[in-house]
Amino acid sequence: MIAVRFHGRGGQGAKTASRILGTAAFSEGFTAQDSPIYGSERRGAPVSAFTRIAKEPIRERGIITRPVLVVVADVSLIGDPAARMLEGIDERTAVFVNSPLTREELRAQTSLPGRLTTLDLTTIAVREFGKRGAISALLGAVAGRLVGLRPESIDRAVAQELADLGVDASLIRRNQTAARHCYEAVPLVPVEKDVRGAPGPTSLRAPTYDPPTRGTASITAGPNSAIRSMSGWRTFRPVLRPDLCNGCWLCFANCPEGAITIKPDGKPAVYYPHCKGCLDCVEVCPTDAMTVERETEATKTT
Amino acid sequence: MAWEYRIFKDLHQIPREEHVFPGTPLCAGCGGLESLRLAAKVLGNHVVYVNAAGCFTNLASFPFTPLDASWLYTTMGSAPAGAQGVRDALDVLIAKGRLPQDEDVKVVVLGGDGSTYDMALSSTSGAITRRLDFYYFCYDNEAYGNTGVQLSPATPYGARTATSPCAVRNPVGAVQEKKDIFEIWRAHRPPYLATVSPRFPLDLEEKFARAAAYRGPKLFLGFAACPTGWLFDPAYTPDVARLAVECGMWPLKEAIDGNVVHTYLPKLSPIEDYLKLQGRFRHLFEPTVQKDALAHIQATVKAYWDRVQQGDSV
Repeated sequence: MIAVRFHGRGGQGAKTASRILGTAAFSEGFTAQDSPIYGSERRGAPVSAFTRIAKEPIRERGIITRPVLVVVADVSLIGDPAARMLEGIDERTAVFVNSPLTREELRAQTSLPGRLTTLDLTTIAVREFGKRGAISALLGAVAGRLVGLRPESIDRAVAQELADLGVDASLIRRNQTAARHCYEAVPLVPVEKDVRGAPGPTSLRAPTYDPPTRGTASITAGPNSAIRSMSGWRTFRPVLRPDLCNGCWLCFANCPEGAITIKPDGKPAVYYPHCKGCLDCVEVCPTDAMTVERETEATKTT
Repeated sequence: MAWEYRIFKDLHQIPREEHVFPGTPLCAGCGGLESLRLAAKVLGNHVVYVNAAGCFTNLASFPFTPLDASWLYTTMGSAPAGAQGVRDALDVLIAKGRLPQDEDVKVVVLGGDGSTYDMALSSTSGAITRRLDFYYFCYDNEAYGNTGVQLSPATPYGARTATSPCAVRNPVGAVQEKKDIFEIWRAHRPPYLATVSPRFPLDLEEKFARAAAYRGPKLFLGFAACPTGWLFDPAYTPDVARLAVECGMWPLKEAIDGNVVHTYLPKLSPIEDYLKLQGRFRHLFEPTVQKDALAHIQATVKAYWDRVQQGDSV
């Protein structure tokens, strides 16, 4: 059995990618199973999805803890403990990361184990679609290539799954073109086709309870959410060009997060740890002083 | 008679202090959060938020909170009842001298449209009838968003949701009209009632500032453009919010003791400008243009503004 795990951020298309892979495998005569983790799948929040492919009936259910292939849609997930991207990965796991970095550069930046391979899907998507959007077809195509599915079945699966979501015909065609390009361009790494060791028994541990005097939570804390960094949510970041800014405060008024503050000189400044990259400020700016840059760093500190 | 800004005349008057802090797990580009943040700048931090279950439940997910105010979490149908309890407790404590007068706080209900238009309608009606001194802020994203975008009574005609799909038998999506909660509320004659949109920040700030002068129910319907549910890029949240107003689909108005004044007269640009931005209406344009549905939506909007022009109460 081939167990593939997809990691993405809500809106990127990890779930649909897992469906495209499953549908493509099914159309080639395999048994296939795909499922996402259901929860608060908010745009930008870490999401994972699973596809199992086998010749024989699949009895296993649930999340995949020992994948043979991990497909990562966003490089920032590597450093996000909530995404649990590193779970069950060892040197034999094939790991695909959507990144403009080469595998060597990525290894140096992140010390990821496994058989790394990379391709810059976001740039391909922006070029093909003209704007940012879901990269589900591209992720599905890469995964299909790495596990050895045929391009025609990926093509059909992309059309079927995107049509189910109500995507219009011209965008489906552009997705197919981009998917085919990625299918051919992704550097190959071997993917283990066998079951990767039976999942070991989970060791159960009795929780230790603190006395109420220690264990009772403080419910009178102040606004502490600001200590959380939202940087990992961004695939693009707004960058202010101060020379073009007319100080109108529209970006400050329209930032849903409150990530834009006003400096003593009356001009706005983006505080990146609080910015989710929605780019509302870019849209409202009357002088085009807010520009867009793509996030590329594997570990974002700002 | 044009409506005039009395308190907020310039964007630079918007308070720089934040009372809804960053770091919430709400979606990037959330139109509801955008409104709440602006509203809280006027409301301040002497506030108890009584939250009805909904997207905003994620604001204060333990152990984190973005608020420097208090927070009470209730079920979808009982937030105004919760507000009544908080208000009564405050009144009793102050009357008994156990709480100083200057520690009195505002009680603010937060509810999505599922709660507001649907489950909490009777609870709200009771609270308004009892003249409960509270604020009600509805973030209206026209669907049950937090559970995966299902049809709600606030969903407009022609919108596609998880439970009103575009199908062969029913190609327009939602066939019902959006419930006119403004008029239902107005029938109660609350002292202050208004609609707001975050893309009109001065209008929003002005309305919250004016409402402070009234004792009793102060009700707000906030337009909450929803990138996740309405299927548009989060960057377009401000454009969607602006076009909803300019096309006449989201009238900005206030009603003091039931007397309606429109606070902004829109350009009434074609509704297609607004609909085309959103994936939930795309089936009205592709693969074939559903002319009847579009004409119906445009006619509904026109009929509304014709009544406004004629000086009818709505």
